Amino acid sequence: MKALMSLGALIGVAGLLLLGGMIFDIVPSTTIRLVEGYMPMQLLFEVGCYVIGFAGLSYILNAMGMAIPRFWQGIGFWVFFLMYLKYRVYPPIPFSVRAMYGTVSLVAVFMWVSANEEDWQKFKQPIMNVLDAQTGMNKLLRYAYLFLLPILIGGFSYNAMMPKSEEPIELRTVHPAPPASTKVHGKTYTLQTSQNPYRVNTEGKYDQEYTNANIVEQGMGRLMKPNANPWDEKNQGYLKYVREGGEIFFQNCHFCHGDNLNGRGLHAFAFNPIPANFTDPGTIAQLQETFIFWRVAKGGIGLPNEGFPWASVMPPWEQHLTVDEIWKVILFEYWHTGYYPRTWD
Amino acid sequence: MMDSITHKAGLLTAAAFGIVLGASFGSTVVSAQGMPEGFKKGDLAPPPSAEMIEAGKRVYFTKCVWCHGVDGAGDGPGADRLWPRPRNFNQGTFKIRHTASGELPLFDAKKPIAGQNDLFETVTHGLPGSAMPPWEGILTEEQRLQVLSFVTTELVKDRKFTDKESETQSILQLGELNPKQATEESIKRGAELVVEKKCVECHGMEGRGDGNAFNLKDDWGFSIQPADWHKCWNFRGSRQDPYSVRNIFRTFSTGVNGTPMPSFADNTTVDERWDIANFVNSLCERDPLGNPLPIDPLTDKPKINFVIPSDPVEGEIPTDIAAEAWAKAPKRYVAMGGQITHKPRNFVNRIDDIWVRSLYNDQHIVYLLEWDDRTKSVAEGKLPWAPTEVNIDVKEQDPKTGEEGSIAAHQNNYTVYNDAIAIQTAVKWKELPAPIKPRYLFGTNEQFPVDIVKWEADGSLRAFLGTGWDQDFQERDNYEESMKILMAEWKNGRWYVMIQRPVGNKKDQDYDEDTFFEVGQYIPTVFFAWDGHNGDAGRKMAVSAFYYTFMNPPVPQETYIYPVVIAVGVVLLEGWVLTRRANRKKGKTL
Repeated sequence: MKALMSLGALIGVAGLLLLGGMIFDIVPSTTIRLVEGYMPMQLLFEVGCYVIGFAGLSYILNAMGMAIPRFWQGIGFWVFFLMYLKYRVYPPIPFSVRAMYGTVSLVAVFMWVSANEEDWQKFKQPIMNVLDAQTGMNKLLRYAYLFLLPILIGGFSYNAMMPKSEEPIELRTVHPAPPASTKVHGKTYTLQTSQNPYRVNTEGKYDQEYTNANIVEQGMGRLMKPNANPWDEKNQGYLKYVREGGEIFFQNCHFCHGDNLNGRGLHAFAFNPIPANFTDPGTIAQLQETFIFWRVAKGGIGLPNEGFPWASVMPPWEQHLTVDEIWKVILFEYWHTGYYPRTWD
Repeated sequence: MMDSITHKAGLLTAAAFGIVLGASFGSTVVSAQGMPEGFKKGDLAPPPSAEMIEAGKRVYFTKCVWCHGVDGAGDGPGADRLWPRPRNFNQGTFKIRHTASGELPLFDAKKPIAGQNDLFETVTHGLPGSAMPPWEGILTEEQRLQVLSFVTTELVKDRKFTDKESETQSILQLGELNPKQATEESIKRGAELVVEKKCVECHGMEGRGDGNAFNLKDDWGFSIQPADWHKCWNFRGSRQDPYSVRNIFRTFSTGVNGTPMPSFADNTTVDERWDIANFVNSLCERDPLGNPLPIDPLTDKPKINFVIPSDPVEGEIPTDIAAEAWAKAPKRYVAMGGQITHKPRNFVNRIDDIWVRSLYNDQHIVYLLEWDDRTKSVAEGKLPWAPTEVNIDVKEQDPKTGEEGSIAAHQNNYTVYNDAIAIQTAVKWKELPAPIKPRYLFGTNEQFPVDIVKWEADGSLRAFLGTGWDQDFQERDNYEESMKILMAEWKNGRWYVMIQRPVGNKKDQDYDEDTFFEVGQYIPTVFFAWDGHNGDAGRKMAVSAFYYTFMNPPVPQETYIYPVVIAVGVVLLEGWVLTRRANRKKGKTL
């Protein structure tokens, strides 16, 4: 038990040091990376670790005779959680959302400290002590509060009333519902029935199994399968078209969507919303190839009304690329990210 | 094409040059071993294993080949639409090194240690300001070493990293040299040295990279521009730490191979180099308090605030840039990307940011726009199209690779057009529900048009109505007299332009054409910029995302009254709680 708790305490101290370092900019905030797509799970896991750590810490301190009063434990945990939200989570979440989380966690802390009558007494004892002011220290505190509280609250309300220019929060539907069909270069494509004409095996037959077997491997780096190099000149079918798609991608798309298809291209920093990250499991991995076809062909301008706020700079690629080129680029995007397109069945 | 013999000869001549230089000026700084100050002789690294090379090939053909090409000649499919171009590995010419000018960079497949492995750091941190991204977090450390093993052995063809006969390594001992304090004195000395050492001839009088800007070529004959010292986040060797004086010191000590940037190790002392590095570092943009700008770790550029606040001014808005009101006005960094969505597209974008300030009074709003542009471009004679024309015929860059006839070879032979800047605001922004903005480029349609105010370097200021990306602008009449250029000056590689436009008045003006600037509201605003020497015209331009102009309201009276009322209320509440508690206790004890 003791060993387990010491381990917990160690985690707690290490975690606190890390967070402290990040707050004061000693430790770069990228030390432990937030992995795209797994961020919520990662954050929950981290907070879980902290809770275990704090339990351990509290146990150890108790055993050493330096127990922290329940009152400070409650406040401490709440402050920790606010700091965590503010400094750990990146990209930063707006204050209004943090305030919501903060309120919820405050309620949780109250539920914890008032779980039974004894705990609740312990929790409110320090407050009562200050109100009663029996000792010199408490008297001092009481006067300090008497002055500080009105000044602080007055200050906060002044701050809140001062006209400010914070960025308005913008919400948008990332994957708006696609139309039933789309007309590109004079031909109508029904999204439910269209197929990528280049998803073919070496004999030129549509073959999902074959093409899925030749995409890059999942895992760090997402490297190509050792004997499926699209740059091999003897290639026929799928891999040949992947290469052609890649050539188009690196002449047109990587400026925004990035060399690694992660939305961090050369010009990406200038745009808002930032370009789509295809390596994120929430983008092309969730979609059918024909959906991508529609989005690529029609661009930001082709978005339906729920795709507001219409700030997308994605061009209608039908102006620049032929239908064949669009299909090849899509083929390349799935190859390079190692995802299978979703199918309709 | 360069061959290895020139390189070896280059080394000898470089050494000889150092001695001659020293003899003639009497200021050579060469240590006892014949090394410049701060350098030490190093050993060549052992060759990487065959397995590493083979594994690296797989990484290369998944990730790198698209720009660097099958033979590593920097001619992949993406190459010709990039500036700077991807590296040609064949000659073994690498820019960012700890080794002396002309030498191969440090690379050891078994030692991924910062400061001891140049190529590994380049792949890890990328080259900011170019299309080379940081591969950390995408490729494992092992994979990065593997791909470099492949590149250094198979794709570097003219030189050999392990050949003791032909290669030497003189390594800058950066870890052992402590940076000098960036005191005023050191910075001042650095400022004198950059003139004395002729840095300003290429980098310009203010260090904006505007000296001799369009005549420089790299080893392969491609045009290359001197660094702009005010944008340290674009320094290729910044290793994602732009305000680090060490990286500037390193570049200055080792030179940039393959470019006209020489090494200054032979004719400066270490002390002088720190002074210069301190000075160059001091020029990089900072916040009003002199602190480095916060850098966004996702983009390695300054963090963006999408609100451009405009402060109120009593009476006339000052036209002098040094006026107090302008000095106090918050300055915003507006990131610019190439317009690559509609033809003609701007793949090689030269204007990557604008600094915007704004002030307003009861009648006008003024934008002060500053941006770095290495050349002042004014079109000679009349432009071949009407200013309202959108679908103009500007030749787009071919994606053709190779040297002859490629865009890179012609990069600076464009027809010169006007430098220009434009501010696009939405006309009926109030009719759009809260976060909705009109379509991005030149407006949505007749129903939701945009208002475009455009200044060009020939001195013209015009107002247009944009009703769609492919629709010709409608020139707005009777509008010129209400707009004014308060300032338009190009100085040492930077434009300073002050544009004044009316805030609009719903009663007197046509609501269908004009944007009304209302105090305390978020007004969607986009910026466009054109670099005339880059052949920018029409839709070939730099664009920003949607920003918001926000006119800060004057502080209302209530802001001062209510907090006091609230504070008094809190005091009363405290009194009540205390009396209650006291009474209860009394009641208990009684």
